[in-house]
Amino acid sequence: MNRKTRKYLSRRDFLKLGAAGAGTLAASNLIMWLSGCTQGGAGEQVTLNVLTPAAPDPAPPGVAEFSMDAFAQWQEDNNAKVVYESPPWPQLHDKMATNFASGQHVHDCMYNCGWVPEFSEQLVPFVDDLPQELMDDLPASSFSTVTWNGERLGVIFTLSLLTLFYNTEHLAEAGITAPPKTWDELKGFAEEMTKDGRYGWVLNYGAPEGIGGVTSYWMVFLQQAGGTMWDDAGMPAFNTSAGVDALQFMIDLMPFTDPGSISYVGINDATNVFTAGQASMMMNWPFMWVPAQDPETSKIVGKVDTAVLPAGSAGTASIDGTDAYTIAKTSPEPELTKKLIEFYLDKEVQKRQVIDTGWLPIRLSVLNDPEVQAAATNAKAVLEQANAPYDSFVTPDYNEVTDTMGREIQKALQGTVSAADTMATCEQLVTDIVKQRTG
Amino acid sequence: MSRTSFFSSINEIRNAGQYQRSRLKMGILFTLPAVIILLAVLAYPIISSFILSFQDVRLAAGGIVTEFVGLDNYMRIFQDAAFRNAFNNSIYFTFVEVIAVTILSLGLALLLNHPIGRPAIYRVILLIPWALAPVANAVLWKWIYNANYGVLNAIVVGLGLSETGVVWLGSPFLALNMILIADVWKAIPFITLLLLAGLQNIPRHLYKAALMDGATTWQQFVHVTLPGLRTTLIISIVLQSIWALKVFDLVFVLTKGGPADGTVLLNFLSWRVTFNYLNIGYGAAIADVLFVLMLLLALAYIRALRPRTSARK
Repeated sequence: MNRKTRKYLSRRDFLKLGAAGAGTLAASNLIMWLSGCTQGGAGEQVTLNVLTPAAPDPAPPGVAEFSMDAFAQWQEDNNAKVVYESPPWPQLHDKMATNFASGQHVHDCMYNCGWVPEFSEQLVPFVDDLPQELMDDLPASSFSTVTWNGERLGVIFTLSLLTLFYNTEHLAEAGITAPPKTWDELKGFAEEMTKDGRYGWVLNYGAPEGIGGVTSYWMVFLQQAGGTMWDDAGMPAFNTSAGVDALQFMIDLMPFTDPGSISYVGINDATNVFTAGQASMMMNWPFMWVPAQDPETSKIVGKVDTAVLPAGSAGTASIDGTDAYTIAKTSPEPELTKKLIEFYLDKEVQKRQVIDTGWLPIRLSVLNDPEVQAAATNAKAVLEQANAPYDSFVTPDYNEVTDTMGREIQKALQGTVSAADTMATCEQLVTDIVKQRTG
Repeated sequence: MSRTSFFSSINEIRNAGQYQRSRLKMGILFTLPAVIILLAVLAYPIISSFILSFQDVRLAAGGIVTEFVGLDNYMRIFQDAAFRNAFNNSIYFTFVEVIAVTILSLGLALLLNHPIGRPAIYRVILLIPWALAPVANAVLWKWIYNANYGVLNAIVVGLGLSETGVVWLGSPFLALNMILIADVWKAIPFITLLLLAGLQNIPRHLYKAALMDGATTWQQFVHVTLPGLRTTLIISIVLQSIWALKVFDLVFVLTKGGPADGTVLLNFLSWRVTFNYLNIGYGAAIADVLFVLMLLLALAYIRALRPRTSARK
């Protein structure tokens, strides 16, 4: 029988070719992986993995567009390659928790916001090794939220306190010449400016937990009323007249608060309402100054100003955004990571941070720089706010405490529970949480 | 497969010749990679989750520390008001969604099965919600429901139904139902296509016979269409129940469980306890309760898929 010459690829040949190709691919990947494993020796470039939020939340050079040349130079000078992972801010906590639970090295440097006590066992106490010149230039109070059990585990890189932002045009229309200085004035002004589809006050009460959630806003009013979260034994100490007054004030503001506030889960939701001119006052972080002056994102350019928060019975108070850089214990390069953090805190980098992104510097010398003060006219209000208490009351169970309290506070804001009953319920719930942690 | 036929298959394999055994071995070898992947991706996490649920798991330096606590996490579930709230929300959400999706999908499938609905363009338009990524769908509805800029309030105010609009996500019960609407919108296309396939499998001569017997349209629907769709409907209900029980993305994006826990569902509660509170063991227990619920539904689905045995003569 004559065999015809095969002009086509048989199935058997196709399978053989496929297996050969797959084998080649696997082998080359294996070789590349093995060569990657055999690091070492002088001159080898080191990779530093950094976890930060995406802009416009506070982010370092390379994520936010500032000091890019200096950043490239630093990498070259230190033979390092900095690789960023920048998820949206709400995902940071979960990502860190998962990474730490794995016990694996994932990131060398992480942005932390109120979670330092929670992750204290996973962080390196590197702050005491920072240069003295840098330490002398940082406010001592900035370390309160990054210190746990006597160890300083992070360094704040931006002075971020809540202050009052207000629409100057709305105030002028109402014949008001200065921002509110007391609770009574705040409530009165909010009532007067609630008209024509606008509201006097807006905030994001939709998210209960964390820094920037409804519980943290209540903590602002708590301190303004002279109260505190914890006693010396670490147990709840907020179920007092100060705690009740703080919540009652928030409830009293509700008729003049944008009704959508209860559904806004992020500060940007509330910020959008304010910069659209639909609300007259809000409290916000310093970053808001830049987008509020940007004609592409704001309808109130030139009509916004900032001031210290109105005072309660004990004066004005605020909370700290606690934006800090920390180093993971699993990092194989803690010294180089510390140097990177020092770069982020370099005077010139801090200056560009405020001028280009709006996030204020933490270094006192940079805050007092005339060029910075000219560019960030809101810095004055923040500095003045920093003279008053701004405790964020962070603990290892900050997320659970604020989440639990936030749900109860939301019920009170909706008018279904009284302020007094809410504080009593919160005290019981928070006590249970603390006892579960402390045993 | 019945017990009798299973054992007879085993006997067949035992009695099979070398060729058959060789074929069997090759079959096992070829399927082994897929089985290994399934075990790694499915079985390992499920078993790990169950093991975690019997432990108190906390973060510590270098990873996690675990302590066996027996059924403590499950006992806590019965005492936890947050779990009861999430469970009730999930049952309500599932029940209403299944009814809404089934009825609406059946209506759409009947329309698509009609000669006027036959053009492919209608099927393409139908698939748009299904094709959206879940988070993209959630962000889309977040803007639709926005109290200030949402198109829903623009319609409501434009029609004069309200002067200032409605805060759609501002009260617990309303927010839960708005999330329901968003999920129903996304779920309809797949179930519609499933039911459409079922409709097209109903023999046409049954309708002709019914017509000749004088049946009205409604009688044809009740006595021909619905019985013919029985299996497909059961499958649709079971599948939709499973998907409704595990909704997470809409809650996470739209409301984060608020206001006041009004939109917390079981899946979201499990995430919150595990990742927000870092109470990993208790979070695993909640997830496993949800897993068992879905497993029961999956067993019902498998049973519904089983071909009916023919009546013995």
